[in-house]
Amino acid sequence: MAVVKPEMKSYIWLQTADGSIQQVEEEVAMFCPMICREVLQTGMGSSKNYAISLPQRVNPAILGLILDYCRFHQVPGRSNKERKTFDEKFIRLDTKKLCELTSAADSLQLRPLVDLTSRALARMIEGKTPEEIRETFHLPDDLTEEEKLEPLRNMTDDPRIRLLNRLYARKRKELKEREKLKNVEVEEEQHVDERSVDDLLSFINGADEGKLETYLTSYIYCAELLYFLHEPDCPTSSCLNGDTGNVPSPSKPSELQDSAYVKFSPKLDFDDGDIDDELDPAMKEEIDREVEDFARRLNSVWPERMQEILSLGQERRPVSLSVNGNGSLKRYTGLDGR
Amino acid sequence: MSTLAPHFRTVMVNSLPLEVLEHIFSDITSDKDRNALSLVCKSWYEAERCCRKSVFIGNCYAVSPSILIRRFPDLRSVTIKGKPHFADFDLVPEGWGAYFYPWAVSMAKSYPWLEEIRLKRMVVCDESLELISKSFKNFKVLVLQSCEGFTTDGLAAIAANCRNLRELDLGESEVEDLSGHWLSHFPDSCTSLVSLNIACLASEVSFSALERLVARSPHLRTLRLNRAVSIEKLPKLLRHASQLVEFGTGSYSADIQADVSEVFVNVSQAFSGCNQLKGLSGFWEAVPAYFPTIYPVHSKLTSLNLSYATIQIPELGKLISDCHNLQRLWVLDYIEDSGLEEIANSCKELQELRVFPSDPFAPGPNVSLTEQGLVAVSVGCPKLQSVLYFCRQMTNAALVTIARNRPNMIRFRLCILEPRTPDYLTLEPFDAGFGAIVQHCKELRRLSLSGLLTDRMFEYIGVHAKKLEMLSLAFAGDSDLGLHHVLSGCESLRKLEIRDCPFGDEALLANAAKLETMRSLWMSNCSVSFETCKLLAQKLPGLNVEVIDERGHPDTRPESCPVEKLYIYRTVSGRRFDTPGFVWIIDEDAALTPYSNGNCSLASA
Repeated sequence: MAVVKPEMKSYIWLQTADGSIQQVEEEVAMFCPMICREVLQTGMGSSKNYAISLPQRVNPAILGLILDYCRFHQVPGRSNKERKTFDEKFIRLDTKKLCELTSAADSLQLRPLVDLTSRALARMIEGKTPEEIRETFHLPDDLTEEEKLEPLRNMTDDPRIRLLNRLYARKRKELKEREKLKNVEVEEEQHVDERSVDDLLSFINGADEGKLETYLTSYIYCAELLYFLHEPDCPTSSCLNGDTGNVPSPSKPSELQDSAYVKFSPKLDFDDGDIDDELDPAMKEEIDREVEDFARRLNSVWPERMQEILSLGQERRPVSLSVNGNGSLKRYTGLDGR
Repeated sequence: MSTLAPHFRTVMVNSLPLEVLEHIFSDITSDKDRNALSLVCKSWYEAERCCRKSVFIGNCYAVSPSILIRRFPDLRSVTIKGKPHFADFDLVPEGWGAYFYPWAVSMAKSYPWLEEIRLKRMVVCDESLELISKSFKNFKVLVLQSCEGFTTDGLAAIAANCRNLRELDLGESEVEDLSGHWLSHFPDSCTSLVSLNIACLASEVSFSALERLVARSPHLRTLRLNRAVSIEKLPKLLRHASQLVEFGTGSYSADIQADVSEVFVNVSQAFSGCNQLKGLSGFWEAVPAYFPTIYPVHSKLTSLNLSYATIQIPELGKLISDCHNLQRLWVLDYIEDSGLEEIANSCKELQELRVFPSDPFAPGPNVSLTEQGLVAVSVGCPKLQSVLYFCRQMTNAALVTIARNRPNMIRFRLCILEPRTPDYLTLEPFDAGFGAIVQHCKELRRLSLSGLLTDRMFEYIGVHAKKLEMLSLAFAGDSDLGLHHVLSGCESLRKLEIRDCPFGDEALLANAAKLETMRSLWMSNCSVSFETCKLLAQKLPGLNVEVIDERGHPDTRPESCPVEKLYIYRTVSGRRFDTPGFVWIIDEDAALTPYSNGNCSLASA
């Protein structure tokens, strides 16, 4: 700091998180919007006792750098070329320092410096492989192999979930087909998966073979499983209106598996309270409504299905019981016309 | 300064606040870099996905709309490709799939701020277009490249409702032309157009509406007209659009009534007013009399597409060779060897050359275009890196010359029209020639082969073509060994499309794992059995194995019988549910099913 008579120069007092206090020329400090605001709004910074507390991300070394930046740029007469040259030299820092600088500048709301350092960091990232980026920035390799492939892949690996997806998709299709019958047909005919719903159900049931009530209850439980399969932040209505993509998958696969297993039992009522409590209440309400609606719609075609099941009861073969993907899916060629 | 308090720690990038991380990422836009970012660590994955603005989906069935939306909550630009490339050659039966509607529905609900949609080889219905026009308030760019399924009614909706539309590009789509008046649906307040490409439309659009639209679009840079706009009308349009950079004419032929010299003068004058013009296309049925109208702009041209100029123009080569700045040339084989030689002497900036056949079904050569033309350009144009060349004869010597002169070649597609044609001088297969290509051109990313080829060729490819990403084969090879060389050797291979080659089960099964590292594999009329398809599906749950067979259910034939067509692609969204009757998607559990009572084990629609 230059030695000048106090009354000729104003200083702002700043305190960093480690407790140390320093005084900085006013015009330099005021270049930082955050400091500027503090001074103007609270009147702080005029003396050592009333030093402005800087955000935690600003340590003394970094503050020094920031002030160097401010000291240079706050001078009005400089040409663009001069500023550019200064900037180019200024950001020649190691990765760690650049990160600290970006973080600190952001907390002081010093936008031009944030932009400058961000861009420098971006250049250091571009063209690198994930491994190289991790090395440069000392980042942990904490994504699992599966997650690296596609973090959501896990969700569709479970054969039960996949089957449910199919069931769901087919139901959606049927509903859509019925709607379409009222309107002019869409140009692209989306063909329905003709596989009998019963096939899917029989697989789902696993150990329970062929009991009628089981089919009925597991159909309803499928609706309940929609509940499980909703994510709080994913809009659900799109799925019911013709989206042929998969049902959004749950965020906790293991929990789902357990609870899905538990719920597959011939009980007609299920306790809403047991189901995922972490859903936001508004979301829960919406999902409740949808599940209800869906169940209602399912149930409306159920009597028909019952007839079909009854008439085919004789032809049915016992299905394979394993639930890890080696079971068979059969088609009843008479039923669905293909 | 006092010592640092013990609780203080240095800030590392993974403890940067999310907004700062996002700010850093906002500077990084290439898909490759964004993908790398997302694989670094959990916190970066999160930060990256939240601020990702643009996504490219190379295969619409590799991922589902819901997965996309869940992972990327704030997209502004989506690019999706649908049918495999061989659909361009009518190898994918109608109704196969690639419907855009489910995407439209999902995105309409979740991306209210979506600005850009670019589609290639997808089926797009009018409903989708209407949905787009009404759901995205800030919609700016619609590109439909080689799409189908929509009519001009859908276009009318886009025109009417997209207030800030900048780009409407219909590529080479098949549009059902119900009325030329759709263009009039652009409101008078619409002045934002930057690019309009309606070249694929068959019938006439309302010219007055077009003229008014062009007149009130000061930012228009690209305008591609359709064939129905005759040459006499061009001056009217160009007068309003002198700022154009890319222009596609309509029909360039003489109307019987027209005064040829008057038209000539008017059009030339109109062109001379266009100082920024760099690219020209269109020229349907261009007649020699009118061709020199491009003289006022030809020396500045960097791109020239004459692939619709179906009338032979004398001295065409000489005319084009005056375009010294030409970087991209698409032309019919009327250019002949002599024309290409002239171009080789003068157009030193040429990077991309495509020569299309004027009459592919003629029994013999109808023009004098041989391997000489390609050799001339390869030797004479130092920047040549992308070639698509249709011809009737070729020699190994020519290919070797090309390879030696152009090690910078990136895309090389050679189509010798008659399958299994050998070197016409030595009668040998083209192993040595294409071998030289892959050996010398180390940056080669795309290769299409033709002519007589043995397994030895594929050995060369496997050994040398390390950066090859896309390979197209037809009527080539002797045995499975050929395919094995490709699958085991080409490390960067992403897309492989094969037709009528004797490749079968062994190579695929031996290299099954490779298929999960690729985007897709297409094989039609080869020797892959149904049994192998089932085995692949069982071994590789991350793939969809699609059997496309219009002869009926694969179960009605022995398992060892080859399937008609096979399309295998990796996916994270499981099997699709919109398959038509001739497509069977094999579940991984199907492979182990014992058969009885004639019940099949396939999931099919």
